[in-house]
Amino acid sequence: MSRSLKTRDSALRAPSPLFDRPDAPGGIFTSNRGFLRALGVAAVVLLAVLPFLDASRYTMSIATSALIYVMLCMGLNVVVGYAGLLDLGYIAFFAVGAYVSGILTTVVGWPMWMALPATVLACIVAGVIIGAPTLRLRSDYLAIVTLGFGEIIRITANNLQITGGPSGIHGIPTWQFGDWSFADGFTLFGLEFPQRVVFYYFVGIVVVLVGVIGAGRLARGKLGRAWKAVRDDEDAAEAMGINTYIAKITAYIIGAVWAGVAGQLMATHLSAISPNSFQFLYSALILMAVVLGGMGSTPGVIIGALFVSLAPELLRDFSEWRFLIFGILLVVVMLFRPAGLWPSTAVLPWLKRQKPVPPPTAGFMAVPSPSANEDLETVEGEESR
Amino acid sequence: MSALLEVSDLRLQFGGVKAVDGLSFTVESGEILAVIGPNGAGKTSAFNCISGFYLPTSGSVVFDGNDIVREAPSIWRSLRLVDLLQSFGFYRVLPSRVTKWGMARTFQNLRLFRELSVLDNVKTAMHANLREGFWATLLHTPGYRRAEQECADQARGWLDFVGFTGDENLYVTQLPYGEQRRVEIARALATSPKLLLLDEPAAGLNFNEKQALMQLIRRIRDLGVAVVLIEHDMGLIMELAERIVVLNYGKEIAVGTPEQIKNDPVVIEAYLGVEDEPIDDTKLQTGTVDLSLLDTGSDKTRREKRS
Repeated sequence: MSRSLKTRDSALRAPSPLFDRPDAPGGIFTSNRGFLRALGVAAVVLLAVLPFLDASRYTMSIATSALIYVMLCMGLNVVVGYAGLLDLGYIAFFAVGAYVSGILTTVVGWPMWMALPATVLACIVAGVIIGAPTLRLRSDYLAIVTLGFGEIIRITANNLQITGGPSGIHGIPTWQFGDWSFADGFTLFGLEFPQRVVFYYFVGIVVVLVGVIGAGRLARGKLGRAWKAVRDDEDAAEAMGINTYIAKITAYIIGAVWAGVAGQLMATHLSAISPNSFQFLYSALILMAVVLGGMGSTPGVIIGALFVSLAPELLRDFSEWRFLIFGILLVVVMLFRPAGLWPSTAVLPWLKRQKPVPPPTAGFMAVPSPSANEDLETVEGEESR
Repeated sequence: MSALLEVSDLRLQFGGVKAVDGLSFTVESGEILAVIGPNGAGKTSAFNCISGFYLPTSGSVVFDGNDIVREAPSIWRSLRLVDLLQSFGFYRVLPSRVTKWGMARTFQNLRLFRELSVLDNVKTAMHANLREGFWATLLHTPGYRRAEQECADQARGWLDFVGFTGDENLYVTQLPYGEQRRVEIARALATSPKLLLLDEPAAGLNFNEKQALMQLIRRIRDLGVAVVLIEHDMGLIMELAERIVVLNYGKEIAVGTPEQIKNDPVVIEAYLGVEDEPIDDTKLQTGTVDLSLLDTGSDKTRREKRS
């Protein structure tokens, strides 16, 4: 018995499987996971190449904020998609991350790399403070309370001295390593990287990559299964030995940390933050991105985030009509894909095959048991029928 | 050695309704005990108290040396803060803890995790016994891979044990009802219990499936797991149970072997009822008999007769 599963000495041991299972296929076109991996690699390559095609300040700025949206949505996906906790004040954690890193670097004067762990810590604390009293509530009540907390954070930031009041914090420094900072830029292989925006773009890619892979891995492990169990049936999850309170608060903390890191990214990227960036509208937009893409589905949520952040920009030609068109698009998408653009239960179309559902009685015929001799009469009677 | 589960004088009251009213019984390890009773007799409520979902009004439940009912200090009681504290997990034992002590249960209505695959449903039940650190999960360390592999193997072992032969990667909602029942039992077994509570496991199963279920329950008992089941199917119970506890109106009215229960006049009365005294027609016409109270009145007299 290996040590990875701890069981009491007297405890029940699982019988070993009776049948050998074939290994799951792992090819790009033969499995869902293989295909998603290939898609991810392609997306990263595409993102890395983009600055060499169009490095204008506008494109880079849009792309960076899209990456920040993706990070935020991955965090909210943990809370809403995996753990099923409707959070209407998610932007609060984004604000905590942005303000903590902003205050630490401007008022306190720490370098950015020192502010990062402090930001993460502050987000964990914020997650516990907001989560601990509210997570006993279910569904609608939780949504209302989180909505309140989101507003509390924004109004607090609006009224405190240290957060700069309504005008916010300006001049947030960039990452600095010794004498060299991101603002200086550098030349590599004859290519110039002059603008700091390009750097934020690349930092953004790395952060989002870590965020997406990390959230995905957590979702597939023990913790992720606990989250999904809580989402599907809280009582049944509790009956399975999962402390649902701890599972929920962990989801909350992970979501808070993801948002906090995104907040820091935004604070350094824009170098200025103000309470206006943390309105309820943004909580709703991020939630919409998650629902639109498909709750609990990594590719879906990324698509949703890109849609929500890029669509208003791409529709700029329609000037004042753009938000109307944006809204109509959303309604149309939800009408035709109610489970989201790429639902978590989606199977690639070419992998769909009709498997015959085994007859309900096939099971017990397959596993004869020595202790059930007295039942054999009935069993044989059934077989001859 | 003392009994595996000892329930004594368990009471559960919802407002004025006494769902469980002084229930006492014991379960020895490795036995099959059936709890029967008419609808609304408080069987499921008693199960919920025993497994930690409901907080009983009074009484004690001792499982394997662990007290499942906790008494809150009187100071909180006088400040009326007990409910609040208990909702935060103080002065109570959470169902997850009871499961960790070795009591697993299934539900009356299937409560599988609908958006998880069959295999993941069973893996989820190994939560408490699975060692996977946060960082190990993030970094996919060899230890994490080994733990996941072993977890999957054990889950498959349980699926094979209950005789599930379908595709383990299907979502549970894609399975026929009988197979879902099977998966639910596999999931309960995956918590490595000493006591398994089955709440109406045969409900909605056809004859063949019931036969399979009986076999399965016997095989679970042979693993050394005590099985307590609530059931309405008398044929199944008489054949399967070693002892039977009969409940009515939250009270235990009889305990014994199937033979004894079959011939117990009190049990027969509880199931088939006794003839009420004929109602005086003249009283009805003059309105001196309140019709709405007729039923409860006769119930009361029956209960008094019994106790």
